[in-house]
Amino acid sequence: MSLDSKIPAGALKDKWTNHKFNSKLVNPANKRKYKILVVGTGLAGASAAASLAEMGYQVSSFCFQDSPRRAHSIAAQGGINAAKNYPNDGDSVKRLFYDTIKGGDFRAREANVYRLAEVSNSIIDQCVAQGVPFAREYGGYLDNRSFGGAQVSRTFYARGQTGQQLLLGAYQALMKEVAKKTIQLHTRTEMLDLVVIDGVARGIIVRNLVTGKIESHFGDAVVLGTGGYGNVFYLSTNAKGSNVTATWRAHKKGAYFSNPCYTQIHPTCIPVHGDYQSKLTLMSESLRNDGRVWVPKTSGDKREPHDIPETERDYFLERKYPSFGNLVPRDIASRNAKEQCDAGKGVGSSGQAVYLDFADAIKRLGAGVIKERYSNLFDMYQKITDHNPYKTPMMIYPAVHYTMGGLWVDYNLMSNVPGLFVIGEANFSDHGANRLGASALMQGLADGYFILPYTIGDYLAKVKPSDKSVLAHAEFQKAENVAAAYIKKLLSIKGKRTVDDFHRQLGHLMWEKCGMARNDKGLREALKQIPQIREEFWNNVNVLGTNEEFNQAIERAGRVADFLEFGELLLTDALTREESCGGHFREEYQTPEGEALRRDDLFSYVSAWQFNGVGTAPTLHKEELTYEEVHLAQRSYK
Amino acid sequence: MCFPLTSISKKQIVAATGLMLIVFIIVHLIGNLLILGGADLFNNYAEFLDHMRPGTTIAELILAGIFLSHIFFTASLVRENIKARGGFKRYAVDKPVGDRSWATRLMPLSGAYVFFFLIWHIFDFMLAGDEGPRSFILGKSAGLYGVVINSFKDPLHSILYIIAVCFVGLHLAHGVESVVQTWGLDRSKFSRPLVLASRIFGFIIAFGFSSLPFYVMFILR
Amino acid sequence: MSVTINLTLRVWRQKGAQVEGHFEDYKASAIDTDMSFLEMLDVVNEGLTKEGKDPIAFDHDCREGICGMCGAVVNGQAHGPQRGTTLCQLHMRNFKDGETLVIEPWRSAAFPVIKDLAVDRSSFDRIITSGGFISVRTGQAPDAHAIAVGKDKAELAMDAAQCIGCGACVAACPNGAAMLFVSAKVTHLNILPQGAVEGDIRVRHMVTQMDKEGFGNCSNEYECEAACPKSISVSNIARLNTYLRKAKV
Ligand SMILES: Cc1cc2nc3c(=O)[nH]c(=O)nc-3n(C[C@H](O)[C@H](O)[C@H](O)COP(=O)(O)OP(=O)(O)OC[C@H]3O[C@@H](n4cnc5c(N)ncnc54)[C@H](O)[C@@H]3O)c2cc1C
Ligand code: HEM
Ligand code: HEM
Ligand code: SF4
Ligand code: F3S
Ligand code: FES
Repeated sequence: MSLDSKIPAGALKDKWTNHKFNSKLVNPANKRKYKILVVGTGLAGASAAASLAEMGYQVSSFCFQDSPRRAHSIAAQGGINAAKNYPNDGDSVKRLFYDTIKGGDFRAREANVYRLAEVSNSIIDQCVAQGVPFAREYGGYLDNRSFGGAQVSRTFYARGQTGQQLLLGAYQALMKEVAKKTIQLHTRTEMLDLVVIDGVARGIIVRNLVTGKIESHFGDAVVLGTGGYGNVFYLSTNAKGSNVTATWRAHKKGAYFSNPCYTQIHPTCIPVHGDYQSKLTLMSESLRNDGRVWVPKTSGDKREPHDIPETERDYFLERKYPSFGNLVPRDIASRNAKEQCDAGKGVGSSGQAVYLDFADAIKRLGAGVIKERYSNLFDMYQKITDHNPYKTPMMIYPAVHYTMGGLWVDYNLMSNVPGLFVIGEANFSDHGANRLGASALMQGLADGYFILPYTIGDYLAKVKPSDKSVLAHAEFQKAENVAAAYIKKLLSIKGKRTVDDFHRQLGHLMWEKCGMARNDKGLREALKQIPQIREEFWNNVNVLGTNEEFNQAIERAGRVADFLEFGELLLTDALTREESCGGHFREEYQTPEGEALRRDDLFSYVSAWQFNGVGTAPTLHKEELTYEEVHLAQRSYK
Repeated sequence: MCFPLTSISKKQIVAATGLMLIVFIIVHLIGNLLILGGADLFNNYAEFLDHMRPGTTIAELILAGIFLSHIFFTASLVRENIKARGGFKRYAVDKPVGDRSWATRLMPLSGAYVFFFLIWHIFDFMLAGDEGPRSFILGKSAGLYGVVINSFKDPLHSILYIIAVCFVGLHLAHGVESVVQTWGLDRSKFSRPLVLASRIFGFIIAFGFSSLPFYVMFILR
Repeated sequence: MSVTINLTLRVWRQKGAQVEGHFEDYKASAIDTDMSFLEMLDVVNEGLTKEGKDPIAFDHDCREGICGMCGAVVNGQAHGPQRGTTLCQLHMRNFKDGETLVIEPWRSAAFPVIKDLAVDRSSFDRIITSGGFISVRTGQAPDAHAIAVGKDKAELAMDAAQCIGCGACVAACPNGAAMLFVSAKVTHLNILPQGAVEGDIRVRHMVTQMDKEGFGNCSNEYECEAACPKSISVSNIARLNTYLRKAKV
């Protein structure tokens, strides 16, 4: 099957307008005959479900948490971008577009990114109307802050809880439709499989996490907004439940997986402190607006930070990137921190941390202003580490944070399986090899509020609405049986090691061999080890209890089993991409100064992997990236 | 307000009736303190109230209505609350985080005690018969004044009254600040002074009423 | 510099909503004080699993104090002893070596136990469904700057909007009342000009639904504010009382 990205013809700035005009519409009276299954209630899923229901479709919405409001979008702190240019500092749709393409290291589709920038302003309008309490100035108008990878202030924020407020807005929009009974809500429900009939997505198999009951749901379209796969590294800033299960099982049913090796490591996280650690906590990137990153100049300097005089400190980001300073994009900031730690200059008990110092900002602005800007982050830091960042510099270290890769989708956000749409972090579409801060929230809401509702209509207008009778199709029964057998198998092993134990082992391997820096040898080693871990998992994992109860071990086991398969694909993608770009840094390909070296002539493509069976090599399909508007250039933030 | 009554509306009825009861209790306290001025003063006051009938009767009926609705709605709220928290016994360890006072915690109890006290109190003083044997001081009737004085000469009688008025004080130590919150006034700026004022008021009520039995037992003898 | 402590956990075990529960004691040995409370439970659960015993069920997801999924009553205190902190952000340095921790689920009629420490809080979702939103459809919105909102109002709305829907207020309230949660949502929306339009209907519907779910009535005990991990203020409850009192039918 060839990949057709269905990018509309015409000038970049007219593509979306023309496309909307050319798309087929579903007659209002017919909309209620179509049923759409939306898996995920994050920014992407909730906004899509609400918008589709408002339009008149029947929608079923699914999430594994006990309430849609708890999707991990809730954890986003920093903010959301839009090209409003309220601060009058020279921003425009084009600039947001360009920054995003450049931030993504020229590995994203121009047309998609332009559209994203184009609808960004409507998102802010929509959210304000929903009651999202964005920060305001005394005049009553919206305030903006600046974020990594941009020289304009275009980030809207709600204290340090922007994601929470945006998600509550989308959740409330969703619940308003639940009240009208246009949305059927299924919480504590996990998607286990996609049902594909004659090559078309027709439904899903889910498990009720309270009763263990396995059920089928049919729909005329299936939308996945199930988030990212960062937990393949075990330790990440993702929620404990974040998983690859939905997208992976769709992949096993034929959907291509794109760019899995593009993973983002966030520079400002609280460092790891022990083996028992279950997750990593992000300190918003906005901290880099006022905090200065430094390490001691001499390696092995174990003095307390305030005992190190100014002249013996290396503010390495300011030194190396004078024009962006502490605000360089995430991949660059992370890699530099690692470089300093590898050179023995890391601080803290583990030596795996750098300082983020607010002393100057406090001197300049006063503790009050800093408190107003960051108090919740400072409090959180103190609760976790027992250190007071008003007094001693914070210690930070990079951690896995976001995954740019995801299921392949065309311009309409439809995967290569007709009827299967993928939105939000779960798709690969807009961020290329690296995502800029504050643009994931933008993308999730763009997809859900303003893009999918149009593009899905074009698809539905061409298919006949289905009804309950499709549930009788053998594919549904088969998929239910497979899902049940899978769980039965997990329960029957009764081995010696716990699920978490395997997850930690996998995560450690992935982080060591495929984390911030990757090389051919390491990737090959990891590729050899994964099948062994997987083999042991299926022989020696210990999952207690039964299926017919609230059994959290089953949930975890299923997710880890998928990560054990998916990890292999991630490594394969990293191995075959013999260049460095954005979040993917191959040690073999770097400039003499140690910056990422892209190889545009060979790798200016989107990888789209086709599943051929567990343990069998996947097939690589390539979608070539062509640039009409921007000139490919080596990224420079100096 | 809307019907059927929401939990908040019921609460606001309790607060409104509570506020009226506060007014009554202040008037009643002042009236009772006239006892300190001797038999004539107090009996004149009692007779004045009697002369005002049927006005007084109407006032008494209204008062009864206020009491009954206060009790009816609090009883219904308290019943719902016990059900909502899942029974009497809740957590194995009782160590609340907040700085909830005893006055707050004991609202239903202090209210209930006052309720039983009131029934007795009405029979005790109001329906006692101003001219009957209980009003005799030194062989002749001293009216309602005599009834009160004779009653408080009995230490047991006095103690029951003192306990009762202490409970009333306790009830009000929370009650006054509570009314402000329930009615929905923004108290964020004067929360501390309000709590203090409420407690002082409760104390004044308790002290004011109990001064009478003490006066009779220790000073008048 | 890590310090370890030994604890005894007395944990509420309950198979399901219809089954009687009971306490069971477990040892939590060599607990690093840098661990979070949930990491401590993870360690205990790993041990139980290895012994073939049913691990303790508890809800959690983000583990950074924002999703509102975690929560248990520790020694009589919802989310444990540290103020303004969710259970997942509570660290073991708040406990002393040799202590016994009694761990119970949120106990309230409107939050039936699912298993052990996990409870069903869907009643909160139903309250939101009854009116906790602004009825604006995608695409209807005017420009974000069409309405200016005073900074003071925006800040008050944000203060209230921080509620994470964890239910600790209900667990801590001696009456099992959901007033803090409801008042936070109503305040967030009613105080903003965008939300004031349907303010009266919102407050009536949400309070009515709250009553229907079997939550208790507020008697101004202020335990909720003390237990709330986001320190939502009870002045929101006063505001809710006013909104309801003034709501036109
Ligand atoms: C700590 C943190 C901070 C961040 N800060 C920012 C920021 O400041 N700015 C920014 O732009 N971006 C930020 N991001 C990134 C951004 O938050 C996410 O990329 C984005 O919110 C993802 O939204 P989503 O809707 O795609 O997925 P999610 O919000 O993750 O939602 C996934 C949904 O899918 C459901 N789900 C998953 N699997 C299944 C399954 N198998 N069955 C059923 N349901 C399932 C879940 O229940 C959930 O409802 C941050 C991310 C993190 C982790
Ligand atoms: C006669 C028996 C009484 C009973 C059984 C009783 C019971 C109660 C109870 C249980 C409450 C708390 C209700 C709640 O908040 O849910 C309460 C509140 C209150 N009571 Fe009483 N009470 C009684 C008498 C009185 C009297 C005599 C007064 C005044 C002098 C009074 C004044 C108040 C006030 C002001 C409140 C606070 C209302 C609020 O919280 O808004 N009560 N009462
Ligand atoms: C030392 C304390 C008290 C004394 C000496 C006292 C005295 C009296 C007297 C003499 C009467 C009869 C009035 C009459 O028949 O005209 C009376 C009536 C009454 N008292 Fe008290 N009282 C005391 C405390 C209280 C308290 C604490 C309450 C309420 C909580 C209360 C509530 C009433 C009521 C409701 C009546 C009947 C209504 C009326 O006639 O006004 N009293 N009291
Ligand atoms: S008000 Fe506080 S305690 Fe109650 S649900 Fe919200 S955050 Fe939790
Ligand atoms: S603790 Fe309960 S009684 Fe009211 S003030 Fe809080 S809801
Ligand atoms: S796990 Fe999300 S708030 Fe505790």
